[in-house]
Amino acid sequence: MTTATPVIRRPMGTVEGVTGAINRAAVTRLSTEEPSWLRERRLRAWEIYESTPMPTTRLEEWRYTDLSKKLHLDDLKLLVPDVRVLREEEYPDQVRQTMGEDRAASGHLVEVDGAVVHTDLGPELESKGVLLTSLRSALTDHPGLLERLLATEAVPPEEGKFQALNAALWTNGILVFVPKGVDLEIPIRVTRWLSQPSVAHFTRTLIVAETGSRVSYVDEMLSGDFDSQSLMHSTVEVFAGDAAQIQYVALQRMGRGVFHMSTQSTLAHRDSTLDTLNVNLGASVARLDLNARLLGPGANSDLLGLYFGDHDQHFDHCTSQDHVAGHANSDLLYKGSLDGSSRAVFRGVIKVHPGAQRTDAYQTNRNLLLSDQARADSLPNLEIEADDVRCSHGASAGQLDQDALFYLMSRGLSRAQAERLVVMGFLGEVLSRLPLSGVVEKVTHAIEEKLGYA
Amino acid sequence: MPQHDVVEGLGLDQYKYHFITEDEPVFRSDRGLNEKVVREISAQKGEPEWMLEFRLKALKIYNSKPMPRWGGDLSQLEEVLDQIYYYVRPQEKMERSWDDVPESIKTTFERLGIPEAERKILAGVGAQYESEMVYHSLKEEWERQGVIFDSIEDGLRNHPELFREYFSTVVPPGDNKFAAMNSAVWSGGSFVYIPPGVELETPLQAYFRVNQEQMGQFERTLIIADEGSRAHYIEGCTAPVYSTESFHSGVIEIVIKRGAHFRYTTIQNWSHNMYNLVTQRARVHEDAHMEWLDGNLGSKLTMKYPSCYLVGEGAHGDILSIAYAGDGQHQDTGGKVVHVAPRTTSSIVSKSISKGTGRSSYRGLCKVYEGATHARSNVECDALLINSTSRTDTYPYIEIEERDANVGHEATVSKIGDEQLFYLMSRGMSEEEAMALIVRGFIEPIARELPLEYAVELNRLIELEMEGSVG
Repeated sequence: MTTATPVIRRPMGTVEGVTGAINRAAVTRLSTEEPSWLRERRLRAWEIYESTPMPTTRLEEWRYTDLSKKLHLDDLKLLVPDVRVLREEEYPDQVRQTMGEDRAASGHLVEVDGAVVHTDLGPELESKGVLLTSLRSALTDHPGLLERLLATEAVPPEEGKFQALNAALWTNGILVFVPKGVDLEIPIRVTRWLSQPSVAHFTRTLIVAETGSRVSYVDEMLSGDFDSQSLMHSTVEVFAGDAAQIQYVALQRMGRGVFHMSTQSTLAHRDSTLDTLNVNLGASVARLDLNARLLGPGANSDLLGLYFGDHDQHFDHCTSQDHVAGHANSDLLYKGSLDGSSRAVFRGVIKVHPGAQRTDAYQTNRNLLLSDQARADSLPNLEIEADDVRCSHGASAGQLDQDALFYLMSRGLSRAQAERLVVMGFLGEVLSRLPLSGVVEKVTHAIEEKLGYA
Repeated sequence: MPQHDVVEGLGLDQYKYHFITEDEPVFRSDRGLNEKVVREISAQKGEPEWMLEFRLKALKIYNSKPMPRWGGDLSQLEEVLDQIYYYVRPQEKMERSWDDVPESIKTTFERLGIPEAERKILAGVGAQYESEMVYHSLKEEWERQGVIFDSIEDGLRNHPELFREYFSTVVPPGDNKFAAMNSAVWSGGSFVYIPPGVELETPLQAYFRVNQEQMGQFERTLIIADEGSRAHYIEGCTAPVYSTESFHSGVIEIVIKRGAHFRYTTIQNWSHNMYNLVTQRARVHEDAHMEWLDGNLGSKLTMKYPSCYLVGEGAHGDILSIAYAGDGQHQDTGGKVVHVAPRTTSSIVSKSISKGTGRSSYRGLCKVYEGATHARSNVECDALLINSTSRTDTYPYIEIEERDANVGHEATVSKIGDEQLFYLMSRGMSEEEAMALIVRGFIEPIARELPLEYAVELNRLIELEMEGSVG
C-alpha cells in the first residue's frame, strides 16, 4: 500500500487578469492562453448560456426551487483563483482537520478558493500512469484527453443554463485518470475550501477509469459561514470503461450562505460498476442534477444519497437512471431527515430506452420529518419503453417510529439518545451500501453534530 | 399465417360500439368556440342571467390560459378545437319514458343495452346524446324518499337554491384550462341529491353517447350526498369511429357530507379518435367516504385524474384506476388525494396495461397540508407491458408539509413472465388463454369492485382487446 507524503507544490496554472464580472469578456480573458478548441468551446457555451432563459418554477425540473428567490447571480463576482503559494501551516483549520482524518489515501488534492494548492500521489501509482492533477496543468500535459472528454459526451453545455455557464467560465478543476488494469485499493481524497462570500466559483471534475481498473474518489467541500451568498458550481464527468469499477463520493459540508449546485454525469460501459454517493449536509441551498447512464450490458450503478437538513436549508435532488443498453442494473436509494423548517425535494426518473430489455432498475426515496415545519416533496418517475424489464420505485415520508422510540426508552435510554439511534439507523442504511473507510465515520460524526449530540 | 393475424382476421379486436345513427339535430351551433356560441347555448337553455355571466367569465379564463405542456400530446388539439361543434341539440326536450324518445336515438341506446340494464339493475338512468340529456328517469321508490336524479339543466331550473349553493364550488372555472372551457359551454350531465340517511341499494347510471362527427361533448355533473347517505353512480361513454378527432371534456363535482359514502364508477370506452380531458373532483367532509373507480379503455388520449379533497376530520378517499392503452392510445390517468384535515386517510391503486404502441402513464398527487395530522396515504401502481413497442410511465407527486403524516408510494413494471406462461401452458392452456388469465388476474382487484354485470363486461372487453397480442 502506498503511504503518501504530502508535498507542497506551487499552485499550477492560476489565471491572471480576470476581474470578476460574469460576462463574455470574462470568458475571453479566461481563455487568452488556452488552446483554440477550448476557447471555442467556452465561447459556444457562453452563447448557449445567454440564449437559454433562466429556469423558473414553471419548468418541472425547477418546480420546487425558485431561483428568482434563492439565487442572486447578479450580486456575485467570478472567483479569481489566488496565485499565492500556501504552506500546509497556512491552510484553514477545517482543511487541516479534515486532511488529518484522511491520511490513509492513494493520493490527496487540496483546493483553496479555486486554486489547487497541493497534490500528492504515491510514486508507484504515478509510475503506472495514474493521474491526479489540476485541470489547468492537465491542459498543458494531457490536452488530447481533455479535448475529447471535457464538456462533450457527459455534460455538454446544451444540458442547461448552468451547465453552459460552467462550461464557459470554469477556472480550474481536477482530473483523475486510471489506466487499464490499475487498481487503487484505497480512495483518492480531495478537500476543497471556499473562504469568500459573494463569489461564483465554477469547477469541473473529470474522472476516467480505463478497462478493468478500479478507483474510489472522495470529494469533500467545505466553507465558512457567509452573510452574503456564494455560488459553488461543480460539474462532474465520470467515465467507466469496460469492467472498470468507480466509486464517487461527494461530501457537501459547506457553510451557511452557500448555494451549492452540482451536475454529475456518470457513463458506465459494459460490465462496469459505477456507484455514486452524494451526502448533502451543508450549504443553505443545494441542488444536485445526477444523470447515470448505463451504456453497456452488465453495467451496474448504485445511486446513493443522504441528506440531513435543519434551520431553513433547502435540498433539491434531481436524478435520472438512463438505461440505454439492456441487461444493466441500477439501484437508487436516497434517504434524508429534515429538522427545523428545512425542505427536501427528490425528483428521480428511471428511463428505459426502447430495446433496453432485461433492465433491472429500482428507485427509493425515504424521508424522515423531525419537525412540524419541515417539508418533503418526492417525485419518483418511471418512463419505460421496453417490455422485458423489472422496474420499481417507492417513496415515503413519515415521522420517527414511536414504537421504536418507546422500546429504546423502556430499555433506559433518554428520549434524545433513542431519537439519535433511530435517526442514525434510518440514515445508516445508505452508508452501509458504500462502506468506504473514513467516509462512514466522518458522515456519522457530521450528522451527530447536526443533531446536537457531538 | 402468424397467430395474431388469424385472430385479427376474426375481427375480434374491433371496437364494437362503432355504429352511426342517421338523424338531424334540432339545433347546432357554428364550428369553433366564441362568445356567440356561448350566448346561444345559454339562450337555448333559457338560463338565468347569472349563469350566462358565469359562462362568459369562464370563456375569458379559458382564452387566457395556455395549453398544458405536460401529459399527453396536445399539439394537434388546437386545430381540432377550431373545427368541432360545441353544441348540438338532438331533440326538443328531455323525456321520462323511452317510448317518447325519437326512434333512432332510442335504438342507439337499445344497442348499447341501456334500457335493459335499467330494468335489471339500476335505480335510475340518464342518457345523454350529443349535447343534451335525452332521457332521465328515477325509480319511484327513490323519488318518494326525496332523491333527486335529474339532468343538470333541470337541476338548475327546479332546484335553483341547492344548485347555486354548490355549483362550481368544487371545481372553479379557473382550476384548469379545460375546466374553464367546460364552464363556458357545459351542456348535459346529471344533478344528483341524496337526502340525509338515504341508502340507494342499486346504482344510478348516466350514459354518454356522441354520434355526430367533429363533435364536442361538455357534460357537467353536480352530486350532493347529504349526511349519512350512501349511493353508487356509474357513467359509461362510447362514440362511433370517425377519421376526424372528437373532443370530450366533462366536469364532475361531488360534495360528500358528514358520514356519507359515495362511489363513482366510470367505464370510459370512447372511440379511438376521441380526446378525453376530464376534471373529476370530490370534496369529502367529516367521516365521509369517497370512492372513485375509474376504468379507461377507450379514447385517443385521456387526461383524467379523479381527486379527493379530504376537508373534514376522518374523511377517507379511495381511487381505483385501471387503464388499457392499445395501439395509438395514450391513457394519462391517475388520481389526486389532498389531505387538509386531521386523521384523513386515502389510498390510490392504479393498474395499467399497455399493448402494441399504446402508452399508459400514471400521474398522481398526494399532498398533505400542514395541520393534517395523522394523515395516512398509500399509493400503489402496477404496470403491465405486453409488447416491446408499448410504453408506460409513472409520475407521482408527493408533497408532505406535515411531520405527523405517513405516506407511501410503490410502483412496479413488469411483463407477463415466461415462467407464468410456461406453467399455465404446461397445464394444457393455449398461450392466448394463459395470457388472458394472467391479465384477468392483474385487473381482478378492480373488477371485483364493480357490480357483477360491469365486471363481466370489463373482463370481456379486456379479453377482446388482448386477442392477438401473442407473438
